[in-house]
Amino acid sequence: MRFIVLRRKTIPRYHTWISTAISLILGILVYLFITILVGRSPLEVLVNIARSFISPSIVKDFFVLIAMGCALLISFKAALWNIGGEGQFYIATIPGILLTLFIFNPRHNPAPAPLVILLVALTGTIMGAFWAFIAALFRAYLKIDEVPVTLILNYVAYYILNYLIFGPFKGRYVYGYLRTDEIPEIYRLNVRVHLPMRGDPLQVALQNLTVQLAYYIALLVLAVLIYVFTWWFFKHCRIGLYTKIHGSNPSYLQAVGVSVNHIILLTMTISGALIGLTGSIYLLSELGRIPYEIERQTAGYGYLAILVSWLSLLDLKMIPFSAYIVSALRNAGIALQVAGLGGVEQSLLLIGAILLTYSITRFLVEYEVRFEW
Amino acid sequence: MVIETTIILRLTAAFTTMYLVALGHSIFEKSGILNLAIDGVFFLSTGVTTAVVVPLTWLLTARGLSLVLSTTLAALTAGLATAIIGIFMAWTLTKLPISHGAVGLSLMFLGYGLGIIAGYEVRLRVGSIRPYTYPDSLGIYLAILAITVLIGLIAYFFIFKTALGTAIRACGENPHVALALGASVLKTRLIAGLLGFFIMGVGASFFVLLWQKYWDIKTYLLGYGWLAFTIALAAGRHPIVLIPLAFMFGGLVEFSITLQARLGLQADLAKMLPFIAALILMIIYGSTKLRRVFEPPGSLGKVFYKEERTI
Repeated sequence: MRFIVLRRKTIPRYHTWISTAISLILGILVYLFITILVGRSPLEVLVNIARSFISPSIVKDFFVLIAMGCALLISFKAALWNIGGEGQFYIATIPGILLTLFIFNPRHNPAPAPLVILLVALTGTIMGAFWAFIAALFRAYLKIDEVPVTLILNYVAYYILNYLIFGPFKGRYVYGYLRTDEIPEIYRLNVRVHLPMRGDPLQVALQNLTVQLAYYIALLVLAVLIYVFTWWFFKHCRIGLYTKIHGSNPSYLQAVGVSVNHIILLTMTISGALIGLTGSIYLLSELGRIPYEIERQTAGYGYLAILVSWLSLLDLKMIPFSAYIVSALRNAGIALQVAGLGGVEQSLLLIGAILLTYSITRFLVEYEVRFEW
Repeated sequence: MVIETTIILRLTAAFTTMYLVALGHSIFEKSGILNLAIDGVFFLSTGVTTAVVVPLTWLLTARGLSLVLSTTLAALTAGLATAIIGIFMAWTLTKLPISHGAVGLSLMFLGYGLGIIAGYEVRLRVGSIRPYTYPDSLGIYLAILAITVLIGLIAYFFIFKTALGTAIRACGENPHVALALGASVLKTRLIAGLLGFFIMGVGASFFVLLWQKYWDIKTYLLGYGWLAFTIALAAGRHPIVLIPLAFMFGGLVEFSITLQARLGLQADLAKMLPFIAALILMIIYGSTKLRRVFEPPGSLGKVFYKEERTI
């Protein structure tokens, strides 16, 4: 028997969805195989994974990953592999800390909260954009691959943040912990809703979901805004069109007189800016303060968003779906840890297994495999 | 005198680790496959080393055999374990029209996860891994250094002076042409994957056995695999040019704490130094004629697809 790989003339309808579903199922099977090998109960593991798909606690990750998935989609569409989401995300929190805890600390120098929040978002966006711009410069003018540069910049961002937290940003009201002070309540973007949490399990789950949605309302608005922006960018913006062309045929851009270097710079900068914006809103919505050695405590959104973007097959419509899957899987990893079924390796294995099967099976969208006896 | 010896030992260990990882990575990438799995493979090797060296040492020392034997066997086992990943990458990325970057990054995550699974239990049981590593003997370190440099010279000869090495380079430059000239792209890349990842795995095992003499699950956050990636990139994947660069980076990583004390730098700034140096090196490399000299293989990371192909 032999297999022949052939390019499809037309891509069947719903093929993208089917391919994604197959890769997910295969990924989970690979993961289960590994867990069985190390002596864990596959049923317990599966139950925890299944539960995480209907858990209201995934809303925060879901919103963040939609925003960052869209941001990465912009660069990925241009075949610019921005692996530096982590660095752009965390470097963007620096002006937020500076503004809320030092320049406009309500104890010494109160300022209107909306103004400060706006400034935090704006400066965070600029910082994220700047961080991605560095990698874009390397790519555009030195012809150095953006993958190692963005990756290295992740570590540089971690260490800069650590340096600041150890030094000038070190908190005074931290009970001996090495971290920044808590961002004042007036600058926080959470809405607290108190519900009785009574009734049947479905009612409790809905109440819980409402509480979560209200608490992370800023992240919800952010996700919607970035999603709409990305749609507009690709649908109605000329740079969006150039970005897509750069991903498939950069020589064509040159032929029509568009500077490829400028497109690289713009695309990466926009991608970094959106990630920076997400980082600054995340600071005000969730983090509240930054602990020392952030690399050991990061949620890893920069890397998870790569998975979101790839899992969507670079299709904007699929981003919410893949963000949902990845948030559920991330929470499954945490749930497995809480249930005593492993540690951080569970999340890494789950993500690795799904990303691997997806990467391998993805070619089936554009190609078919025929068997000949 | 003692301080000088310690410096030699530490520098040798840092060099050996970084050099072998960068060398293995270079051999593999010479065949045209982009290796973004490097950091995960680095960590996986350290985890496997930890898992293997402890029981092996118990087993062999009980039979009166030396610690050097068990550590060396553990390093070779780690090399074999990572070679499996190399073969898998070479086969998948040559046979199927799929993204090198995506497969590499997913294997990176898997490498982290599998590395933790491999090493965690053993590390928990023994506490410190130090008693199971190479003894702090100048003779042993210098012997390993000599073997490492010899491997580098052999790799140079292999890549640039043998038919198989030429085939590896041809597959990296243009696999279609290599195929037309009679080279088997799959076989060539499989050999490059086997050799490259084996050397990488052995090199990464020295992180535990020779250099840090320590292993923890958080090791996966250090990013040393990416540093080796940068060293290989800046040296144009050339086995001889890699030698001074691996010395420089190894030294920079190893002595960042000394630099921190001497220059009064904060620890995190000192940790950042190798990464900044990597970026500076990239600027020098990218903005001078070195770029042309050390250009990456022409088909690096490109999907190899013939219009109709049989698996």
